[in-house]
Amino acid sequence: MSAADFNNRVLARVPRHDFVGRGDELDRIVKHANAQNGRGLLLLMTPSAGCSELLRQAYDQLFNQQSDVIPLYYAFTRHETTAVSAAIEFLQTVLQQYLAFRRKEPALCRAPITLEDVLELAPSSDLEWIEPLVKMYERIRFSNDNKALVRFCLGAPQRIPVRSGKAFVMFDGAQLADDLNGSVVLGAELLRVFGRSGQSFVLAGLRRQILDSARAAESNFELLDLFRLEQLSSEEAHSLVDHVALRSKVVLSREVRDLLVQQFDGSPFFITNFLQAARDRNIALNTYLDCERLYVDELLGGHINHHFTNLLEEMAPHIDKRVRLIRVMWEAAMSDEKSASVEGWRRRLEVEPAEFENTLHQLHIQEFVNWMGATVDATTGSQTWKDYLRAAYRLAIKADPRALVVAETITDSLKRAPNTMARHYKQSDRIDLRPVMGTFDCQRVPAVLFDYRAFSKTYKGMDEVELQSQIASEANLVKLPQTVHVASCYAFDSASRKAYEEERCVVAHAFEDGIYTDAQQTVWLVADLESKLEVDLDLAKSWFDRLDSLARQNDFQRYRIWLISNEGFDEPASDLLRQHEAFCSSKRQLEILIQQIGATLAVQPAPVEAADEFLMVVPMGEENELLAASAVEQIARRLTFPPQAINQIKTAIVEACINASEHSHSPDRKIYQRFRVESDKLVVTISSRGIVPTNVGSNNAHLSKQESSDAAAEERRGWGLKLIRSLMDEVEFQRVDEGTSLRMTKYLRTS
Amino acid sequence: MDISTGATVKSHCVGTTAIVYASDYLNKLTGEKIERECRRQLDSGCRALVIDFADTQLVNSIGISILLGIIDIAEKSGAKVVFADVNNQTIQLFEMLGLTRHVALARNEQEAISTLSGFNSTPTLH
Repeated sequence: MSAADFNNRVLARVPRHDFVGRGDELDRIVKHANAQNGRGLLLLMTPSAGCSELLRQAYDQLFNQQSDVIPLYYAFTRHETTAVSAAIEFLQTVLQQYLAFRRKEPALCRAPITLEDVLELAPSSDLEWIEPLVKMYERIRFSNDNKALVRFCLGAPQRIPVRSGKAFVMFDGAQLADDLNGSVVLGAELLRVFGRSGQSFVLAGLRRQILDSARAAESNFELLDLFRLEQLSSEEAHSLVDHVALRSKVVLSREVRDLLVQQFDGSPFFITNFLQAARDRNIALNTYLDCERLYVDELLGGHINHHFTNLLEEMAPHIDKRVRLIRVMWEAAMSDEKSASVEGWRRRLEVEPAEFENTLHQLHIQEFVNWMGATVDATTGSQTWKDYLRAAYRLAIKADPRALVVAETITDSLKRAPNTMARHYKQSDRIDLRPVMGTFDCQRVPAVLFDYRAFSKTYKGMDEVELQSQIASEANLVKLPQTVHVASCYAFDSASRKAYEEERCVVAHAFEDGIYTDAQQTVWLVADLESKLEVDLDLAKSWFDRLDSLARQNDFQRYRIWLISNEGFDEPASDLLRQHEAFCSSKRQLEILIQQIGATLAVQPAPVEAADEFLMVVPMGEENELLAASAVEQIARRLTFPPQAINQIKTAIVEACINASEHSHSPDRKIYQRFRVESDKLVVTISSRGIVPTNVGSNNAHLSKQESSDAAAEERRGWGLKLIRSLMDEVEFQRVDEGTSLRMTKYLRTS
Repeated sequence: MDISTGATVKSHCVGTTAIVYASDYLNKLTGEKIERECRRQLDSGCRALVIDFADTQLVNSIGISILLGIIDIAEKSGAKVVFADVNNQTIQLFEMLGLTRHVALARNEQEAISTLSGFNSTPTLH
């Protein structure tokens, strides 16, 4: 094999350069293989996070490396019915892949060969151990001792002579190993065999199952490394969508790409299957509608349906039981109660205790439910699973017409899509309070950072350099507690979970001065409030009361409430909070605090590609709206607009840019501007991605000058749109899947 | 357009009247600097504010909302506010947003000071 063959595909299904988003994980596995320190690596996979291609890529890298590490990959499949047949298949795979590696013939890995072929193909130097191995296998195979046979097969890699190299076995789909029939529990058995072998290995599968198997095998956890495989991050998932779409020749828009990432929560399994379905059906994914139509097709009859249906069939092979299971799960998922009694479930499912326990265990392994002793929580699971379950419930239990289910699933998905994106953009745009609170560790910080009015009085409008300098010289300091645990508020109050967003409202258990006594124990309840203006008394009071009530419900003896809002708090709100000894801060104060304590902020969204023809793209902020205003001034002069009209257009554009920056939670932080010159008018379109502002309806009649006066700009920040409508002749919000596109026209004659 | 960013707001006092100069672009940043300077002048004992817009070519709605805040602050301090040398386009915006109902306009600084003298000589009615 030449150097040029280094990236040869052996088992991998995609070229290395197309394998995105798992670079660190791949390095970790390859490093583990090369270390050869006799440790096991348990790859704990989140359901649908996908690890098969990761292992196959690792295999290829090790194969192409041709070092003393002999890669061996074995995937448990649903086709194997018994532990014995799976073990025999493993033995066959080991020998085949060993020969492929030794002969440097990747094709041999995939060739349909028998054990006789193996003996034929083996180099003479290897026959001395392969031949006895095959003979012994033939003998044990007919000995009726299944356990011995399984152990013999699993021990095959240990028989490879040291001079030939060191076997490195990667097991994939380990959750299937324990479902095999027979007297041997294969998952636990292979952990026993490999745990004692002194060889490095990887066992990959669903995280709950793997840990159960390791405990069942009484594994020595000191010899095992645990590695968690989560869903992809947004950036990685974007990259995956782009690569798979390009490879599959599926046309898709940026908006759909971003929606897919959020809708599938970064799951490589669902993303890849979905795009393959688009390829199979030759569908372009340009709009949310294209996307959701295909999603519902997939949910009700495609890859996604097949995936979930298979899992349910395994859990409940009989149709009656399956239907009852769907009913119980859906009704529990929709219940206001987070947890239900296990006994109640068993009665409703009408199955024997042993069978029931097995079903519940499988639901738990797949993370469709959280099973905790006597209670079960079915509100968990991915959105895709919930969509599938709902459709299955409507079809199987309610017997709704299929057309109705299809239509309503599409309409519901379409209605949900903008909210999904809005939630994501808000999350990307806001500071996650959990890491901030988690960084509290007895640091001393200026007290003014927790008192908005004092901060505002002293620092508002101050130059940044001066502000930093004065903050640094603040003498009045407070000592933060040492945080020992941070969780979302809804984890403490499941009944009010809708009121709390996970990262914006947290409870932090802490100790003052880091001294672990009752007297020093304290709890901080922190909420980041959404408000474009200074928070007023009503909003501040409602949040104070909510957190205060949460503290009392949970019997927190000493607690501190801290409210944060983008623009701070007005005087009455600040006074109220001060009376209750609560802290209040603006986002700016929080940012300074973060600088002071060195907390890690959420990653900013990566910019996307540049604009196309006649589109001027301006980054949001930094007074860049002036650049747009200057550009339009030049264009308007060519059209001989009078100075007053030019100023009006400039002001309108400045307002449109500010509006886009302030309201959109834009993922790319860019404003797209198009200027179109026509004989009697100038048409300016200002677009941004992100959230559709609540004051922008689909009904453009709301934008008429007559009605605009009704809006009355109750809030001063609402003045922007009012100004735009007053300064331009026509203003129209154009329909887009996300964000806004504001089209403004100024006629020459009206100047 | 010379964009003013981060420069200190210019101001001076004539008796108990502070003259504060707005920059060429009135937005959140420059508006807050003006607000800060006005607060400082009021805290120092000034009883009237003149905000001079001679250099101001462009304003935005956030800048205008901050001006309204300054008027509120001055009102609470019992101080008068006059806007001087505002160009026609900006006056049009102030009118649209109702700002001119709360503040006197003067052609220039001198006229503003004269206007304020008139206020001061008028006895307050209760």
